[in-house]
Amino acid sequence: MEQTLRETIRNNPKKILGVNPNDAKVSLSYLTVAFVSLLIGGILGMLQGLERAGLIQLPSWLNYYQVLTAHGLLLLVVFTATFTIGYQYANLSHSFGGLLSKVRKLAWIGFALMLIGVVMVTVMIVLNEASVLYTFYPPLAAHPIFYIGLVFVVLGIWACCFGVFINYRYWRKNHPGQTTPILAFFAMGVFILWFFASIGVTIEVFTLIPWSMGLVETTNVMVGRTLFWWFGHTLVNIWYLVATSAWYVIVPKIIGGRHFSEKLIRLVIILLVILNIPGGFHHQIVDPGISQSVKFLHVFMSLSIAVPSLMTAFAMFFVLERTGRKLGGKGLLGWLKKLPWGDVRFLAPMIAMISFIPGGAGGIVNTSNQLNQVIHNTMWVVGHFHITVGVSVVLTFFGICYWLIPYLSKRQLTPKMNKIGVIQTYVWTVGMALMAGSMHIVGLLGDPRRTSDTTYGGHEIAVSWIPYEMVFAIGATLLLIGVIIQVYAVFNMMFFAPKGHTEFPVAEPEDDATPAPLWTERWGLWIVLLIAVISMAYVVPIVDMILNAPPGSPPIRTW
Amino acid sequence: MIQTKPNDSHKELHDEKSLKGTLFSVGVLAAVIVVMWVTVFWIYMDRV
Repeated sequence: MEQTLRETIRNNPKKILGVNPNDAKVSLSYLTVAFVSLLIGGILGMLQGLERAGLIQLPSWLNYYQVLTAHGLLLLVVFTATFTIGYQYANLSHSFGGLLSKVRKLAWIGFALMLIGVVMVTVMIVLNEASVLYTFYPPLAAHPIFYIGLVFVVLGIWACCFGVFINYRYWRKNHPGQTTPILAFFAMGVFILWFFASIGVTIEVFTLIPWSMGLVETTNVMVGRTLFWWFGHTLVNIWYLVATSAWYVIVPKIIGGRHFSEKLIRLVIILLVILNIPGGFHHQIVDPGISQSVKFLHVFMSLSIAVPSLMTAFAMFFVLERTGRKLGGKGLLGWLKKLPWGDVRFLAPMIAMISFIPGGAGGIVNTSNQLNQVIHNTMWVVGHFHITVGVSVVLTFFGICYWLIPYLSKRQLTPKMNKIGVIQTYVWTVGMALMAGSMHIVGLLGDPRRTSDTTYGGHEIAVSWIPYEMVFAIGATLLLIGVIIQVYAVFNMMFFAPKGHTEFPVAEPEDDATPAPLWTERWGLWIVLLIAVISMAYVVPIVDMILNAPPGSPPIRTW
Repeated sequence: MIQTKPNDSHKELHDEKSLKGTLFSVGVLAAVIVVMWVTVFWIYMDRV
């Protein structure tokens, strides 16, 4: 029976009215900061690539390590965090029929706090007072304002976390016996993980502020590094969880299919939330002062992430094949041809998913003890995170833009813009394949990372790295072209594309699918398990590092 | 003609439900993991 207009407005106001303009403003503001950061970070990335290849010499007022620090923080923290908040708040608004006004206020408070923090951090880097790299752990010491800026960034993220928790609780209270829409469930997973991930780094930063001010003479470097990787490793999986929300829920709709079992999707989210944080020590696998048993535990916990990842791989292959076959695909791989490769909303996340195969395999190499000895602190690691973050995550984010931004700005994705998006995706893919591919190979040959000059007086081994470094430079140049195209596309879709209605593409379950189980909504229990796993992994080693502390380190400036 | 129609639709339905492409793709994924791991382990063994 057809619904009356009144019933439609009551039951599904978005169908008639579209997105709430106030909610759209929140998301668009975060996305604006994200893509301005991407542009600046991308330019800095290309400069690094060219300097590393010996093609340019940066001026004395802008050295390699300043550029490296700004590139890392602007892209890995600012771009990903602001994009995630913009996207997840849009998901929440769509799923819940609008944000609560106090939640919107929290999002604006978070926005202001993050902006203040980013300005403080950036100014300190520009003034050459904070060339401490993206990881910023001791003994390298920045100006205190740099760390205070980071506190503001974390407070901004926490404001957004609390906003999500409040809106979720309100919705659950008003919908007893119902499971939350799947995208809102993803948002809960993302922000819970973010909150608990940032606790470690917040403690670290609070110990570094008095140390950098000279109020405390020394700091415990081991504890600082450990607290950083509690956050740093989890951040990677926060991006991954955000990307998988689009893979599981958005991509099936775009290709004309249905999403995989909601029970499995929810299980993957819960596993990623519970298992994620205690993988940090695999970044410190060659550090002294950590017992073999603790390292073994963390290697095991890192590898446990492979379980939900492999579940995701199976589920996505299933969805793609089932849809491709429904569209007439035959044979072993004929279904692949039936997928909409000319639609950027599919193409970009599809390439992102494919790249997660070598990206995930590289992650298993990194976390294996003996294999880590081969690749530790080499360009392999840089190649690894460029293929995982730079393709699996970022290309998914780019693909999301082509429906999310027109939806929020009440505009349309034109065929011309779709074509630009397809070209951008190929430019980005080729650029990253050249850059990350050569980084992987030259890393295996021993080329170190985080070093501006690796000629080592013309030693023959160092000379053998140069051709690969030239390929980085070519890749980095293509990537900057990709950034410029993407930023153009984003702001065009935000302000200049033709007005119109754009669908928020959320896939439906299969007709015979069983309803999502209510037990998955027990976030209290998942958080208890998360805390138990964190305690198991961190209490003993951190207590040991404090009780048997090596001599502390004074602040060190190497620049 | 009358007899071939049900067979065709049965075959089509079977083809629509087939997951051999998924099995193959998961196999490729496993192969990438194994090849990458073994290659780097071989380099490690060569260097120790």
